[in-house]
Amino acid sequence: MKGTIFVELIKMAENAFGEDTVDEVLDKADLENDGAYTTVGNYPCSELVKIVVAFSEHSGTDAETLQKMFGHWMLTHFVEHYPQFFADKKDAFSLLDSIESEIHVEVRKIYPEAELPTFITERTTPNQMMMIYASPRPLGAFCHGMIEAALAHFDEKGDITSQVNITIPTVTNFEITLQS
Amino acid sequence: MTSSDDTRVSRSRYNRECAARAEAEKLLERKSRELFEANTALSANSQQLTEAVETRTAELVQALERAAAASVARSRFIATMSHEIRTPLGGLLGMIDLLAMDEVDAGKMELLNYAKAAGTGLSRIVNDVLDFSKMEAGVFVFEEEDVDIRALVKSISMLYTSLGKDTARTITLQIDDSVPQLFLSDATRIRQVISNLISNALRYSTDGPIIVRATATPHAQGALLRCEVEDHGVGIPPEKFNDLFKDFSQVANPLTVAAQGTGLGLAICKRIMDGLGGRIGVESKQGAGSTFWIELAVTVVSASLAHSYQGSDAETATLPPCIKGKHILIAEDNIINQKMLLAYAQRMDVSVDLAENGRIAVEKFAPGKYDLILMDIAMPEMDGIEATRQIFAKWPKDSVPPILALTAHVADAIEGESKQVGINRILSKPIPYDELKTALEDTLCLTSITAHAAINTPENQISSVEDLLLAEMQPVVGENLLNIFSAEGLIDLADKFVTDCKVRVELLIVAEQSGDTDAARKQGHSIKGACLAMGFKNMAELAKRIEHYPTSSNEVPLIEIAQELSKKVDKIDTIISK
Repeated sequence: MKGTIFVELIKMAENAFGEDTVDEVLDKADLENDGAYTTVGNYPCSELVKIVVAFSEHSGTDAETLQKMFGHWMLTHFVEHYPQFFADKKDAFSLLDSIESEIHVEVRKIYPEAELPTFITERTTPNQMMMIYASPRPLGAFCHGMIEAALAHFDEKGDITSQVNITIPTVTNFEITLQS
Repeated sequence: MTSSDDTRVSRSRYNRECAARAEAEKLLERKSRELFEANTALSANSQQLTEAVETRTAELVQALERAAAASVARSRFIATMSHEIRTPLGGLLGMIDLLAMDEVDAGKMELLNYAKAAGTGLSRIVNDVLDFSKMEAGVFVFEEEDVDIRALVKSISMLYTSLGKDTARTITLQIDDSVPQLFLSDATRIRQVISNLISNALRYSTDGPIIVRATATPHAQGALLRCEVEDHGVGIPPEKFNDLFKDFSQVANPLTVAAQGTGLGLAICKRIMDGLGGRIGVESKQGAGSTFWIELAVTVVSASLAHSYQGSDAETATLPPCIKGKHILIAEDNIINQKMLLAYAQRMDVSVDLAENGRIAVEKFAPGKYDLILMDIAMPEMDGIEATRQIFAKWPKDSVPPILALTAHVADAIEGESKQVGINRILSKPIPYDELKTALEDTLCLTSITAHAAINTPENQISSVEDLLLAEMQPVVGENLLNIFSAEGLIDLADKFVTDCKVRVELLIVAEQSGDTDAARKQGHSIKGACLAMGFKNMAELAKRIEHYPTSSNEVPLIEIAQELSKKVDKIDTIISK
């Protein structure tokens, strides 16, 4: 998993809980490299889960909420650092549509070894979208948070329901319905 | 933030950042190395590709050179082979002509006619293949010169009517007054196309006239010339129209087998017309005949029609006397060709001086001595080109008579050089009698056209007797005899025939009456031979019945046949006694 996710997660934690708390939590989390992450590196996803769990235990906030928060954080990070992916999009649906066809294409140019999740989108009605998120990592809530943040970014309001596929647990189905 | 007032960073945080940086730097180094290696591999690959491209290019260049060399070799081979084939073939055809001239035995004559037809066919195929290979090699050259389509069409039709087969075929010429007298184009090629169309018309129809039409309509370039060749033969189904002008294609029909050929004729015509910037096409109805046409935009040189020309037009069909009695120098080293040319000259009543090579020709020549020089190109010691050059160098230009070159080579190859040294015209060897005669007429009659016009009247009187006589004869034989003997000679010959026949018929009747049918049969055989030689077909039939008498159980008495024969002899006698 890309180092940038780790770096951003720790930044968010510092922002939320302060540097000392972060130092403390990381020390306790029993991480392979003691939390020394760099954006250009790659790290196992299990480490990310460890960090999330550690902060959850420390703060009493459940892991799912933390993941959603992190989804919001990451979207903001992306808007700031990769504005080119947002410039020509008029709404959240078109942004979600472009993940596979545009964004991941660019990511692979820089990180050919990146293991990217897949996002299959389908517009069932003009106001509703089905999105199938498939990833070996248990980060459905993180994805949920990103979708919420995307709607917020375009000043849209909508209901998001998610359901883990019964037969394939690595697949999560999202249904996004815009409020008109 | 819990420690917002503290600007210092904790030790553990500092160590963590150092470790992260160290890792990032290590990663950077690894990526750099990977990048370098990828670059090296890429340039090696690129170098390899460049080398591959160079090798391929070199191979292709070599293959191209080989192909070009092979193509040149092939063209040269075909040119050489067709030359090698044409020379002995010409010898064969010439010898057949010579044999046919003296042959009186109808059976042998028939065989000779077959041999001649087969030889002519072969010659046509060889010429087609040669032309085609030249077109393929892109060395088929087009010229621009003054073309007189009337004279051109006339001479082609004369050639075909004189070469006619068993049945007499009429070629009718209808040249419209709108057709300019002279225009710029390539006479040789137009002759080739029209000649081919007429030849096809003759081959693909069994009877009915062949009509050759020419008209002209105004055009931006001068005039749009349209020539049509119409026959009343088997015709062509419309779906075959497109294939007609393709290489090696023939429309199958009952006459095709008899007509034979390479299937190149019309393809060559098409290519020639393309080369001249014209068009060729066909209109046809199956079973009703075909009309092949060509269209060509031409620049007009002289539009008006000289009426005197039209007058002399009809004359050209008979033998104009302007070549009779002329004295010509023939430079030719090949003994067979010498013999042929000498025999031809004799037939034309032309006296000949012979030079075995170019040097001797130069020595023999003096101004005023000859009316024309026939010059072979390839000769030992000195070739025809050099001999011509020396003659012009030695004597003033206006004292040198027309020089006609004879060559078995492709005419285009020596055309430039020939014109430069002063050769008037190039004739292609082997030359058939009629072509040589036409060439000599064309050249010599130009200088004596006034003399020709002066003796117009007496000639016309004779021709009426001769026409009546010719009407009795088979056209082929009649034409031939007329060519050899002229009108007066022909009448004289007929006179001798009549005298001879009368005597023999008398002898025959006497023999039969005295019961010696065998002797009568022998006379019948002799009379048959004489009749065939003269082309009196009906009489020959009667004589044949006597020769083989009795041919059937209910045959009339021999004396009755003899009397019928006698009546026919009398009819000829009446004609020539006029």
